[in-house]
Amino acid sequence: MALVPRRSLTSLGARTLDLVDAVTDLVRVAAGTVSGAVFTYWRGTRPKGEIARQMHAIGNRSLLFVMVTLGFVGMVMVYQTCLLTTQVVDGRGQVGAQFARLLVLDVGPSLTAMMLATRVGAGIAAEIGSMKVTEQIDALRMSAVTPVDYLIVPRFFACVLMTVVLSIFGMAASWAAGGLTGYYSFQINPRTFFDLSMVAPAHVVLGMTKAVAYGAAIPIVAGWCGLRARGSSEGVGAATTAAVIGSSFAVIVLDFIISAIGLIFWGAGL
Amino acid sequence: MTAQRDGDAGGGAAVELQGVTVGFVSRRVLTGVTLRVPRGGRLGIIGPAAGGKSVLLKVIAGLLRPDAGAVRVLGHDLAAAREREVAAVRRRVGMLFQNYALFDFLSVGDNVAFPLVHGGAPPEGIEARVAARLRGVGLAGSERKLPSELSGGMKKRVGIARATVARPELALYDEPTAGLDPVTTSKIYDLLRADQAETGGTCVVVSSDVAAVAGFADTIAMLHDGRVRWVGPAAALFDADDPLVRSFARGEEREGAAVLARAVAIEPPGAGVWS
Repeated sequence: MALVPRRSLTSLGARTLDLVDAVTDLVRVAAGTVSGAVFTYWRGTRPKGEIARQMHAIGNRSLLFVMVTLGFVGMVMVYQTCLLTTQVVDGRGQVGAQFARLLVLDVGPSLTAMMLATRVGAGIAAEIGSMKVTEQIDALRMSAVTPVDYLIVPRFFACVLMTVVLSIFGMAASWAAGGLTGYYSFQINPRTFFDLSMVAPAHVVLGMTKAVAYGAAIPIVAGWCGLRARGSSEGVGAATTAAVIGSSFAVIVLDFIISAIGLIFWGAGL
Repeated sequence: MTAQRDGDAGGGAAVELQGVTVGFVSRRVLTGVTLRVPRGGRLGIIGPAAGGKSVLLKVIAGLLRPDAGAVRVLGHDLAAAREREVAAVRRRVGMLFQNYALFDFLSVGDNVAFPLVHGGAPPEGIEARVAARLRGVGLAGSERKLPSELSGGMKKRVGIARATVARPELALYDEPTAGLDPVTTSKIYDLLRADQAETGGTCVVVSSDVAAVAGFADTIAMLHDGRVRWVGPAAALFDADDPLVRSFARGEEREGAAVLARAVAIEPPGAGVWS
């Protein structure tokens, strides 16, 4: 009988140690990625054109996916907003301007990043996880190559840049789709809908800051999950799932933090 | 290649392990392992599956840090060293991994060149060295192929070429002949022997092929249940006093299995020291 609590205690201790180990690893990967990007990237120990290859894999291959998704989201949001605004007082004239503000400030970068967290985050974790379980990561280390420097830093650069670019394309698609929905379903004049008067420079700064932060977080979280893969294909699957959940969670948390910082700096007028 | 380098403390040992203990969350893998491999020596490590052989090799390579004990490789204390120092030691060590660990996104030539490119070798000589090394393992002209186009035996040979292209002072081979036919096995051990004769380096081979590794190594260590069960000259392995070692080496299945099962209850002897 005495063994039961002792075993539970041992299990709890092991889980706690594993959690501490995981958090330490995440901090190490994040610090290693940022320091690698700032200090050591330009030493040229990576294959030539690696950033361009990653930009193609992350950006070009996600473009259609992001634009279609944000286009549909734009249509649904404008349709629902128009339905609501016409119930009491006709506020259709304000929908386009407010929608543009919301897109630039939050919805555009955040939804783009959520899409990238699923597609790119899973890809990075699966790739690095496979390398981990087949000992390729150890083989890198045997040549005194730092896996974070070699594998995550190029993806970090590419993801930061392409998240910003894809956010812009996604916002454009969403805005255009919303405008078409407003015009065909609620007869909103396009000149009235495509109105940027509510978008202030602060909104653009905050929206792009979010895009950069999301673009930085996705490869770090996904790379960390990949580097912690254990065992065989099952371990890679678990790492991929963890990467999607972790990257999406990071996007939501960063959205909250950056929005809060924006409110502190710019106040309620934001 | 046996010359002393900066940071090397004297002594003739390439590898010195003292009371090395390694455990993972669920279990202890190595317990108090003590071994010494002199420079230019050839150590074969044998033992039942899941006995900690590959983990021991990774500890020697500095890829795993022990929970307790000292690991001295090429004169450096890896257990206490910072990662940068360990990485510097690894440049002088070559390793063949059990599952080859070839980079699937690089060609065969780029795989073999990898330790040279990242080890600071002059770029102008790399291509020739890679071609010579591939010729040495019987894969001349395979530079442009991808690892996915190779058979298991060919991958193994590419792995050996990559592990030895930088002429390491210490070469670690994890199951260099697993899954290969006897002819290829013999060729691979001939290759390892020729490489060692050329470089004068130290070899540590982990293998389940007891007869082949006993023919290659000058000393054998048997790991069982994470402990060094026996260390001695390769020639004495098949007549070892320890019945477990003897039956395992001879491949006496029924007797060996019974002894292995019983061995859990037997207090193992003190860790062996090979000097």
